[in-house]
Amino acid sequence: MRKAINLILRLIVGGVFIFAGIVKIWNVQVKTAHQGHDIAITVSASNVPDYGTFATDVTNYRVPPRALGNLVAITLPWIEVLAGALLVLGIWARPSALVIACLMIVFLLAIGQAVTRGLNINCGCFGTVEGRKVGLIALAEDAVLLAMAAWLAWREQD
Amino acid sequence: MRRTLQRSLVIVVAGAAIGLVGNAVSPRGIAWLTPPPARWEAKDNVALDEAKQFWSSGAAVFLDARSPADYAAGHIANAFNLPAEKFDEHYPQVATMLAPDTRIVCYCDGVECDLSHHLVELLRQRGYTSVRILVNGWTSWHRAGYPTTKGTQP
Repeated sequence: MRKAINLILRLIVGGVFIFAGIVKIWNVQVKTAHQGHDIAITVSASNVPDYGTFATDVTNYRVPPRALGNLVAITLPWIEVLAGALLVLGIWARPSALVIACLMIVFLLAIGQAVTRGLNINCGCFGTVEGRKVGLIALAEDAVLLAMAAWLAWREQD
Repeated sequence: MRRTLQRSLVIVVAGAAIGLVGNAVSPRGIAWLTPPPARWEAKDNVALDEAKQFWSSGAAVFLDARSPADYAAGHIANAFNLPAEKFDEHYPQVATMLAPDTRIVCYCDGVECDLSHHLVELLRQRGYTSVRILVNGWTSWHRAGYPTTKGTQP
């Protein structure tokens, strides 16, 4: 039973992280346009790694040191993809879950301080997909992901 | 536990390394360090009473740098919406009303808001020479009881 639960949690958390990393790296944009009753959805992405948009999102959080914003934008998405992929595959599941749990804590703190300061900024959580702002929904999502990752970091095997 | 921590560190370092390599080989690579922000000086700002004079005499075009939703919820009367975050999409409509020497006042909301600063940079890059910022624009204008309007139109 526990194995089944852990497998499901791994697929969810890992899948979310792979997705979140990829949309940041290739700057995937989803646009919806309403035309009468029809809704046209267009998806565009860069064909090469394109960190500029996410770098702006990171800098907008205004967590010092400002200069390191680009470095975070360059490295963070790949750490997300790698940890997510390992978690899905069940290789090094526990360390992967630990990395993800730590990232979730960092994200919660970053979004929390932005909400507290009243910054009206893009979440950047899933790149520009949804174009969501920071807020309580983003915090709630991250809290759920943190709980799942923490469970895996506690219960999974190395 | 120790092995878990070591492997966690390996994941972080390996992920970061892939990211740095990917950035290095990408034609859209960015600098490792974020460049410092443009330096803003007092002359880049316009005071509220001066902005009101421009508004009353029609001596300036007011541009709202916030999102279309914020704009529709309430904006300075006669101000046009040019969201800094969707500049390319909205600029062509606004550009028809602007000459290079048109006096432009950009605003967003809150002293922390930097959308208007972004907008000023984007406009200056396109050759507009008289662009200034009304800091904390919407709130201070609204509080002063100056004319405002709602909706998607100026």
